[in-house]
Parts: sequence; structure tokens; C-alpha cells
Amino acid sequence: MTRGIVAELVDTSVPKFAAGCRWGGTSEAPVVLFPEGAIRVEGTGRIILELCDGHFSLAEIVQKLAAQFILAPKGKIRADVLTFLEQLHAKRIIDY
Amino acid sequence: MAQYSHPLALIAEITHRCPLHCVYCSNPLELTSRQDELATADWLRVFGEAAALGVLHLHLTGGEPLARPDLVELIGGARQSRLYTNLITSGIGLSRERLAQLVDAGLDHIQLSFQDSRESDANWIAGARAHAHKLELAKWIREHRIAFTVNLVVHRQNIEHLEEMIAVLEALHPDRMEIAHAQYYGWALRNRSALLPTRAQLDHAVAVVAAAEERLRGKVRIDSVIPDYHARFPKACMGGWGRQLLLVDPAGRVLPCHAAGVIPGMRFDNVREHTLDWIWQNSEAFQKFRGEAWMPQPCRSCDRRQEDFGGCRCQAFLLTGDASATDPVCELAPLHNLIEDAVREDAVTDSAPEVLEAPFHVLQEKMAGLWSYRTGPK
Repeated sequence: MTRGIVAELVDTSVPKFAAGCRWGGTSEAPVVLFPEGAIRVEGTGRIILELCDGHFSLAEIVQKLAAQFILAPKGKIRADVLTFLEQLHAKRIIDY
Repeated sequence: MAQYSHPLALIAEITHRCPLHCVYCSNPLELTSRQDELATADWLRVFGEAAALGVLHLHLTGGEPLARPDLVELIGGARQSRLYTNLITSGIGLSRERLAQLVDAGLDHIQLSFQDSRESDANWIAGARAHAHKLELAKWIREHRIAFTVNLVVHRQNIEHLEEMIAVLEALHPDRMEIAHAQYYGWALRNRSALLPTRAQLDHAVAVVAAAEERLRGKVRIDSVIPDYHARFPKACMGGWGRQLLLVDPAGRVLPCHAAGVIPGMRFDNVREHTLDWIWQNSEAFQKFRGEAWMPQPCRSCDRRQEDFGGCRCQAFLLTGDASATDPVCELAPLHNLIEDAVREDAVTDSAPEVLEAPFHVLQEKMAGLWSYRTGPK
């Protein structure tokens, strides 16, 4: 785990839940639980976070989404995923 | 009967027993004794009922929750009920082995309290030799993949060390740092004249925290709580009465907050007699200050009534004698002068006296002129 430096999210980074952050709620209404809070995630957010299980790099996650959303430009998908994960990193929910 | 939105968190005060004697403790002065505590099976049932009610977070607190020998079982049961489990602790009574057992049982988050950056001052505030163990425990915690919060209660006797305290805590590699000014309930209210900081001290502390937030961004999440005596408007206590949280005390009484027991004439239902769901929906105590019907002026017509819900009912009672009054912390409150007087009278600086390594009762006697240490249940 990187400490002391704000990590940069690059194609080879492997995003995963930070210590003490996990799925909760029900399968119909899943939430991400973390200290003192929870966020409800739906749609694309949920798909991205389900890929943040420590098995896929950022490039692989973008690839999988591009295969699923064939009409969206890959560059835009990458930019959206990046913004989403960086926001969760700032909240100490996602590590990479 | 109206249906109320479900609570998000359950605060479980599983015992009032505690090896520490912190002078800022917000526990009630009347503590529950061991023989009146709920049994393991009762708590496990309550956790299941909480999850069914939609609760996501469980905060195990006390007193010192480690004083319960069944803590591993309680955490296991909470996890089985799919609750996110947080242990709020002084760490006293936690060995490396027991910590591993708690984590194996499903603990998600541990919140470890610190009293000061300097060992002698920390032990003086806690009335116990606790600081060195906490530092050791912090290292063991980082051997596990759980969330780690360090908690620091700030008041006049340690506020001058705030910068140093943040540095000491940062070195423990927490995920999160909670910098909370003392809240004046229970023992803290009794000791207010020794604890309330001056405005100048507070302003400095706010600047120190802002600088730390900037420096630690992306590394440690800092959550800070400003002392409401120095704020213009009251806090949205518990996110509003009976709106988001419920608290079960060691004897099973269900309260809308930590301090509600002080309000005279309140009747709290007990989990030994009713389900949590029934209590949340029907208990007289939860109905009492829900919504806006109870609000006096200026709250009733105030634009902020949906933001702060009129402030804290317990503080209103403790300071004005009327639980339905506007929280006197509010600058619009008819009795705001009570707060202004307290800040003027109480906030005089003095310095920590020399403390000898002494048994608790000697320390207690020696400090009697300054403050009352929290003592255990009878």
C-alpha cells in the first residue's frame, strides 16, 4: 500500500477497495460501505466498482467497458473511469 | 401511523465499564452496572433487527467495549447480520492476539482514541496509564486490512499541543483522523470550566487543522468537529432527532442520542420488551422531537430548521432547563447569553499542574479542584 504519496492512476494501476471498504446492502440495492459512510452505486458506477476487485488494471477495466458500451468513444470511457476512481481515491475508498 | 425513514446507524453502548477516567467523557453521570447489561443473545438479536430495519453501520462503544468478554462473538454476529462494524475503543485490554480474533470475526473499522501527544499529559487526562499501549496497539492494527481511525478529543488542556498531536498520530499511518472538540455533556459538562477553550485557542486550532488537511490530502482523511459553543448556529445533532440514528444503552434502553437520558419525563422503551422496528416507529421518546411541531420560535419560522433541526435537545435542557427551547448555542436563541457567559467565564487559560506517578485515587484527590475524573458504574 502506498502511503505518503498521492498515487497517480495510470493504465497499469490496479484499482481496488481500500482497507475497511466493502460492498454491503442487498443485491438489488448494493452500497459501498466505508468508515462513517455509505454510497449507493448504480449503473456504470456499479459495473466499474465490481471490476475493482484487485484482478484488473485500469487499461483492462476500460477495455471491458468499451466492449460493453460499443458506441462510446474509448477515450471518453477512459476519462470517465479515471475521474470516477480518482474521486473515490480522494475519499480513501479506492486504492491503486 | 406515519412511517419514518429507516435509521442508518446503530450506536451500541455495550457496557459502561471502562478502565479509563477521561475527564471529557460524554457518558451520563449515572452509569449502568455490569449486572444490568444485556446478554450476548440479546445483542445478537438487536443487531439482526437493526439490519432488517435498514441500518448499515454498527458502532460498538461504551464505556470500553473490550470490557465485554463476548466481544468476538458480538462482532461475528454483527457481521453475520451484514452490518459494517466499527469498534470505538481506548485499546486498553486489547492484546495482539485478541485483535486478530476481532478482525477474523469480521471487524471492519477500529477507532482508537488518544488524549495528548505527550505521555504524561495523556495519562493525566485519561486518569490512567494508557498512552504507551495505544502507540503499540496502533502498529498491530496496521498489520491487518481493516480501516483505522485515530480519534483525538480537543479541549483547553491539550489544544496547545494540537500540531504536535497531529504529527504523532500521522506517524501511526491511520486512514482517517477524527479531531473532535469536547462536547459538553455528562462528565465533560461537569468539567466544562477546565475544558472549554478560548476563542483565540480555537481560531489557532482551526488553522492548524486546515493546514493538516491540505498537507495530508489523499493520504489521511481528516474529519473535524468544531466546538458548538463557538459556532454561530447549532449542530444538526444526530442528523435530527429520530431521523438517522438510534442508540441502545448497556441495559437495553433505546435512545435517540447519547444524552437523551438526562431529559426529565422521557420514557425509553427497552429491547427486552420490544423490537427495534417497533421502537423506531412508535416509541414515545423517538416521537417527542421528530418533525417541527415541537419547535418554538425562532426555530419554527427559521430558514435553517431543515439543516440543524433546532440543534440539540439535550443541550437545550442541560443549559436552559427546557428540552423544547432553541439550542442556546444558536445566536438567534433567546437564551444565547448562557453560552456567551460560559465562554467568558470558563475560558480562562491555565497550565497543567505537575503530575506525579500516583495511583488513581491520589490523582483524583489531587485534581479535585480542577476536574472530576469519570468513575465507573457503582
